[in-house]
Amino acid sequence: MPALIESKDLTKRYGSHIALDRANFSIEAGKIVGLIGPNGAGKTSALRAVLGLTSYEGQLTVLGREPFRERTALMGDACFIADVAVLPGWLRVDQAIDFVAGVHPKFRRDRALGFLAKTQITGKRKMRELSKGMKTQVHLALTMAIDAKLLVLDEPTLGLDILARRAFYDALVNDYMDDTRTILITTHQVEEVENLLTDIIFIDKGRIVLDSSLDDVAVRFAAVTVSPDRIEAARAEKPFYERHILGKSLLYFENPDPAKLAAFGELHTPSVSDLFVAKLSGGVA
Amino acid sequence: MKTYSWLIRREFWEFRATWLIPAVVGAVLLISALFGRIDMTAFDSHLAALNLGTIYLLGLAVLFYAVMSIYTSWYLMDCLYNDRRDRSILFWKSLPVSDSQTVLSKLLMGLAVIPLVFMVAADLTSLLMAFVISIRARTFSAVLWNPQTWFQVQVLWLYVIATTAIWYLPIAGWLMLVSAWAKRAVMLWTLLPPLVLYLIEKWFLNTHVVQNVLGQRLVGYAAVAYHGNEQWINDNMSEAATVPVSVWRFINPAGFFSSLEVWIGLAVGVAMIVGTIQLRMRRSEI
Repeated sequence: MPALIESKDLTKRYGSHIALDRANFSIEAGKIVGLIGPNGAGKTSALRAVLGLTSYEGQLTVLGREPFRERTALMGDACFIADVAVLPGWLRVDQAIDFVAGVHPKFRRDRALGFLAKTQITGKRKMRELSKGMKTQVHLALTMAIDAKLLVLDEPTLGLDILARRAFYDALVNDYMDDTRTILITTHQVEEVENLLTDIIFIDKGRIVLDSSLDDVAVRFAAVTVSPDRIEAARAEKPFYERHILGKSLLYFENPDPAKLAAFGELHTPSVSDLFVAKLSGGVA
Repeated sequence: MKTYSWLIRREFWEFRATWLIPAVVGAVLLISALFGRIDMTAFDSHLAALNLGTIYLLGLAVLFYAVMSIYTSWYLMDCLYNDRRDRSILFWKSLPVSDSQTVLSKLLMGLAVIPLVFMVAADLTSLLMAFVISIRARTFSAVLWNPQTWFQVQVLWLYVIATTAIWYLPIAGWLMLVSAWAKRAVMLWTLLPPLVLYLIEKWFLNTHVVQNVLGQRLVGYAAVAYHGNEQWINDNMSEAATVPVSVWRFINPAGFFSSLEVWIGLAVGVAMIVGTIQLRMRRSEI
């Protein structure tokens, strides 16, 4: 089965600034992929390219289409939530539902209404009267009512409090996700999504640093807690990152030999956020 | 087609002034008819009455048209800028609506739908005012209730809407182009480039091509769309003192559509709309 999203040497320049530098990645159907990177790493540029919102160099296919040239057709099968602030203030909730129902053939009004019925939001309210959290719920209701193959979320919970963030991701996983759907999320708050993801793509300075499933991460990476007397021996195995906490050292290895490393101390699989820090800072922290 | 009807509806939701402004103008006129002084003695002669009836309807039409022109210009400057400023463009672009559909729906709104709303508002106002005045004067005079005059003004409205949409397309296209491009100060960016071009030409070449072309586009409409040269006036208007002038003899569609200026303007306008669509594809939020 061909990948849902396939990019080859994807490059985006803004004048002399290179936001995406020959990025290669592929995303398969049924996955929840986190596109993770620090601010200004090129996450948003990558998403904009995937969604057909910007021109680019290199090759990119999304659902078998060229996004920039075929955005309209693509949006029939893909939807996105850019962030919470983008529903215009003058729009009423019922108008938003009517409009999407009017222009989107795959929108199911009953599903949107069912989702909103669980909230405090009524149809005559204008977006400018709603809190950020409520606006996110409206946007999510509109988006989840669309039978789309691909859902793209760009920092969807930016500016939300912890309750609203939790509600957002719970709804996403419980009410939306199934085998036929694929979700691509960008965020710089890794902890928030790491339990959701099946795959991760790390991006830094416009380049893809890591593109892997979480299952593979468990095989490819290992962290070892090393006591000070064994640290020189452990360093000989070429860790790519070291971290020192409370008199102990954490050494991170790529493609490790578990039998060898076990001799230095306790072995475990690094969390996504630890791996993110390890991969992107490089050297000693 | 269904998408366009939703896009137009969307414009009414966002730009509520589209019906609020004509409603307010109509209400003010109606109040003046309710409480103003009425003098029907001017309607004494039959002929004067017929001409006065025409002036009454035309006056209202001109007033509504003038307000509409200002509002439409403002609308066209705003329509592709607002959603970039509040970032809601990212929501609209997440739907299967193409950028050309968006731009064309807004052009249709500005050049046809808004003028038609004002035309209906002018008609309603003229009927309601005529009714109020007739009740207060206790006579339903033919001055205010002449179906033929009323019908002719409708023809004129539709002719004006159709021909100004074509004549002013390059201006509308320019306003939309700036609206889709500017990061701020849309009105300034609308006026600045023609002004700079005019000054550069004046200082360095001491010619007035820009001024002439723009000036002709802004004020030259009437000369192209209506009969009006001296010969025609001599032949036709000498009898105007005795017979009300018919709109059919006044409008000049054949002259309008055979004018090279009209077709050049149309071509420039279409080019600007194509440019606007391209900008809309490439520019997202500010």
